[in-house]
Amino acid sequence: MDWNALIPLLVTLITIAVILGGVLGGVAYLTLLERKVSAWVQDRYGPNRVGFDFGQSWLWFLRKAWGLGQPLADGVKFLLKEDVIPGHVDKVFYLLAPMIAMGTALFAMGVVSIGDTPAPPALVMSKPIAGQEKSGINVLTFPTSIEDVKRLERSGELKGYVDQNEAYQKRWKFSINPGADIGFLFIFAVGSLAVYGIVLGGWSSNNKYSLLGSLRSSAQMISYEIPMGLSIVGVLILVGSLNLERIVDWQARNGWLAFYQPTALLLFLTAIFAECNRLPFDLPECEQELVGGYHTEYSAMKFAMFFLGEYTHMITTSFLTVALFLGGWHLPGLEAFLGADSYIALAAKLGLFMAKVGGVVMLFMMIRWTILRFKFNQLMNLAWKGMMPLGVLSLLGSMVVGQFGLSPWLLLPWSLAILLLVTALGAFLPAEDTKVHFKVTRGRAPSASGVVVRRPAGAEAV
Amino acid sequence: MQPLPVKMPLPCDFSLVAYYPMLIFLVIVIGLATVIMILAHIFNPRRITPVKQMPYESGMDPIGDARGKFDVRFYLVAILFLVFDVELLFLYPWAVATQGENPVIVGALRTIIFWEMLVFVGTLLLAWAVAWRKGVFQWR
Repeated sequence: MDWNALIPLLVTLITIAVILGGVLGGVAYLTLLERKVSAWVQDRYGPNRVGFDFGQSWLWFLRKAWGLGQPLADGVKFLLKEDVIPGHVDKVFYLLAPMIAMGTALFAMGVVSIGDTPAPPALVMSKPIAGQEKSGINVLTFPTSIEDVKRLERSGELKGYVDQNEAYQKRWKFSINPGADIGFLFIFAVGSLAVYGIVLGGWSSNNKYSLLGSLRSSAQMISYEIPMGLSIVGVLILVGSLNLERIVDWQARNGWLAFYQPTALLLFLTAIFAECNRLPFDLPECEQELVGGYHTEYSAMKFAMFFLGEYTHMITTSFLTVALFLGGWHLPGLEAFLGADSYIALAAKLGLFMAKVGGVVMLFMMIRWTILRFKFNQLMNLAWKGMMPLGVLSLLGSMVVGQFGLSPWLLLPWSLAILLLVTALGAFLPAEDTKVHFKVTRGRAPSASGVVVRRPAGAEAV
Repeated sequence: MQPLPVKMPLPCDFSLVAYYPMLIFLVIVIGLATVIMILAHIFNPRRITPVKQMPYESGMDPIGDARGKFDVRFYLVAILFLVFDVELLFLYPWAVATQGENPVIVGALRTIIFWEMLVFVGTLLLAWAVAWRKGVFQWR
């Protein structure tokens, strides 16, 4: 048996173990970080009691430890708590929903590269069709195997692919599935499946709060998927590939996409906030109205799995933001300083990628504790009346620049101009007649007539 | 060796086999989720009481069933999503095939497709305007 054939499999398994362990450990400590950040924002201490002394007096130096033992204690508690399965639930879907929520969020990490993963070499060869040079349509003989490629190289039709491919095979790859050409599309597809976890969880709970939460959530997630998709097409037009490694590679050569398309970055960030159900958009689980939203009836480990899914989704989308818009591992001058391929450079790039992801995660958290929750009509207005036209305008700019080979820097003024334009036009939209309230008179009963009472124009919102 | 009327920028050794790490990862993720559920099932105590079995409605006795009627607007949003998302997915192959540094489709064909794409986006905007005019985005 050829044991060498098993090496790629082993490498894959190790990568999976490292990434899975890293993400799950990261999620555990993100919950602690979230509580710490909320404490700092609100001028409190936050969790600072649980250390690693396990009640042993001789481990006194591990006591408290800034509360770093908290995630461990939480995990053990989740495992040992009573797991109530109410009698009225649809049991199969009820058990399936947290698994879907966690599984889809983790599975999306499959194509994300966490460090300097090189882009696979491009196989570029084209010839005009004989006698039809003016048509501009080129022809390629389609190599179906590496032997075909080698034969084409010997005949001189193709240059350098075999060497590049050999160099590529030797480079380190920080990704579960390096060179996945579907790249972003895969994440888009798997991320959409996350809706199922929430909808199934809400529906199978057979609880009004859960059902309302999951309905809101599905409407919200599918609404924000469209601006998200639109903002990505601009990136695709400039780069011409869905492969995340190629997108990062393009940015390393031509500058970060955040500078060319700040509006697209803004749209993408807003959309992923909504996709992750983070605070300005956390209507699916808004505590004051819906108790817990779609996970009202979940307890113990199943509840923890929903949260695991949510935080994992946050990490995945932060990785995406960095890879798509913030240059991935790239920092100007880094390669000139440390060299392209040394171990120090690889470690520095890995650290840089992580630092950028950490920055985006911190942005998630700071915004959660700073901005207030939207109302549902505001949420839908933002997605369909604000972000949708903004996304289409941004896309049109990218289309023209990409098609006519203009400088991508033209996109920067265009991007800012449409942002200003749409914001200004928004002010001229006729105000929506949403001030419909139940009049509450004396105690909690509705008004005697039981009808909806409209507030007089100009009245302050309560 | 098939001659194609396009040029291919990518190595043409595409096959699903190249995605085997994804399959392994999928199996591991499903296994992990299942193992967590089973562990929780083994370790946690279960003391079933009638009150715990009730749907939670802030401590009151539940009124009616949860599976009632709800606003048709949610369906409208779902349909709109279907329309726009499917249209959006046509933009992806267009962008990959004709744009970027190594477009597969070049020359006159690329220009024709570009104008067609503009018409396509225009249609998308028209549908969006009609939906707005019909009041689909009105929530109250």
